Amino acid sequence: MTESAAAGIHPQSAATPAPIAPTKLKVRDLHFYYNGYHALKGINMDIPEKKVTAIIGPSGCGKSTLLRIFNRIYAIYPKLEAKGEIVLDGENILDPGYSMNRLRSKVGMVFQKPVPFPMTIFENVAYGIRHHEKLSRADMEIRVEQALRSAALWDEVKDKLKQSALGLSGGQQQRLCIARGIALKPEVLLLDEPTSALDPIATGRIEQLVEELKSEYTIVIVTHNMQQAARCSDLTAFMYLGELIEFDRTEQIFTKPSKKQTEDYITGRFG
Amino acid sequence: MQANVGAVAAASQAQEARAQRDARQDRLFSWLLKGCALLVLACLLGAAGATLWGGRHAFGTFGWHFLFSAEWDPGTDTYGALVPVYGTIATSLIALIIAVPVSFGIAIYLSEVAPAWLRTPVASAIELLAGIPSIIYGMWGLFIFAPFFADHIKPWLTSYLGDKPDDGKLSWVAAHVPFVGKLFGSDYPFGASILTAGIVLAVMIVPFISSVMREVFQTVPSRLKESAYALGSSTWEVSWDIVLPYTRSAVIGGIFLGLGRALGETMAVTFVLGNAMKLSPSLLDPGASIASTIANQFSEAAGLQKSTLMALAFLLFVVTFIVLLIARWMLRQMAHKEGR
Repeated sequence: MTESAAAGIHPQSAATPAPIAPTKLKVRDLHFYYNGYHALKGINMDIPEKKVTAIIGPSGCGKSTLLRIFNRIYAIYPKLEAKGEIVLDGENILDPGYSMNRLRSKVGMVFQKPVPFPMTIFENVAYGIRHHEKLSRADMEIRVEQALRSAALWDEVKDKLKQSALGLSGGQQQRLCIARGIALKPEVLLLDEPTSALDPIATGRIEQLVEELKSEYTIVIVTHNMQQAARCSDLTAFMYLGELIEFDRTEQIFTKPSKKQTEDYITGRFG
Repeated sequence: MQANVGAVAAASQAQEARAQRDARQDRLFSWLLKGCALLVLACLLGAAGATLWGGRHAFGTFGWHFLFSAEWDPGTDTYGALVPVYGTIATSLIALIIAVPVSFGIAIYLSEVAPAWLRTPVASAIELLAGIPSIIYGMWGLFIFAPFFADHIKPWLTSYLGDKPDDGKLSWVAAHVPFVGKLFGSDYPFGASILTAGIVLAVMIVPFISSVMREVFQTVPSRLKESAYALGSSTWEVSWDIVLPYTRSAVIGGIFLGLGRALGETMAVTFVLGNAMKLSPSLLDPGASIASTIANQFSEAAGLQKSTLMALAFLLFVVTFIVLLIARWMLRQMAHKEGR
């Protein structure tokens, strides 16, 4: 509690990295409750713009929970409650008055397992766009192509846009989900263990994609895989038992962590 | 060392014996299963064959004319199947048109929208509704719903939609939209009609369709729904664009289960359909269905009339079979459209 509270408040603390970019998401004293269970205990962190921020930690530490608050996807279930503030472009997204539709056009999300919709490949990408914009057929085709190109999938699917997305391989499906997310032109992209269901080659492609996408998007990635965090993130946050233990530049976390718990975790002593 | 070799040989022999016994048992098991499956087929073919055989006199006497004739005169022993076949299809279609949207609403409410504490009680209530014997629906239809329909709904329909309004003034709809006037015009003062039977049937099949829909809607992975919500979909969009296509084949299966029940339903329909062997374009006039005709006339029928009833039973088989074929075809078309 004290450690995580310190994270956002003392500027010289190791938990608040020296700013490498303007803050995109400002998390202040965030608490989360599942049916009354206190799952997140006062999280403070500043997520920088157009950088990759990785969140690591053992199972059950609350890293996915934290990610799921950033686009309020938790709100579709009853009895879940978030308290505190998450400021995106000067507005608190936890404010009940903040439009869900608007939030979700600004904050996209890709889930653990690839989940293509039961539609054609084209429709999978076009589907989300239609919720936010009315485009002509030609404009829609351009947008879908852009999104598929950004997700490094275009060359593989350009001849079968009218086929069901369920016929793609797992890695292709996951890139399709990323394309679907970036087709809305969000500002923040949340990735919840996006490669945990993929083989090493598909994983490599996704990581490469993350590297390319960070020039345009603020990316927050939750991962179980510490090498992945080390490989593709600029900042890394270590969470344990619902608290943010340490948040710093990735190289700092993996070479000279300032907290004993962080060191124990990244050296494999627990977790 | 020697003892060891002997033990190994004995073990492998035992294993061999075990493998043979397993193979024998599996063969027996597979025959048994095949027998069970073939029994169903035999029952179906037997029933269809028996009704066809029983109806051979009617088919022989009237030929193809039997299918298209609306005549039904036991006095001169001339019979046609058109009235009951039309009544069967019309009542079932009305039932589907009403029951499918209502069931979809119930199922989506229970699986996506309703608070957790309400889901189980309402779902059990629906299952109870499915278990009510049809004679009770028939009595409710005859004694309560049909009089209510005759007093409150039918006058409204005939005067605003029908071509024979009581005050003689044609409504705009009846005058301008083709067929509507005919469908809702009626001189007949009672509640029993094709529409009444369709509505009662709808009430009867809603529990079936909605409980199938609810069950399959619950199989949609939550991560699929979350992905759609994460793109900014509303609950309606998630239900219509994600949940329904994902469960489509099971939903259509549920709808056709309901339709199958509606086509064959006897007691309730016999009570509220009016049992008139007369072809009328109006949904507010009484009619007859295949099942109600058989139920009404079987006890007194003999000779050609009895054979005609058997032939009608065979036609019900055929109608049901065609409905199933249409369901299959629809599923294939949809899968094709989706790119699979």
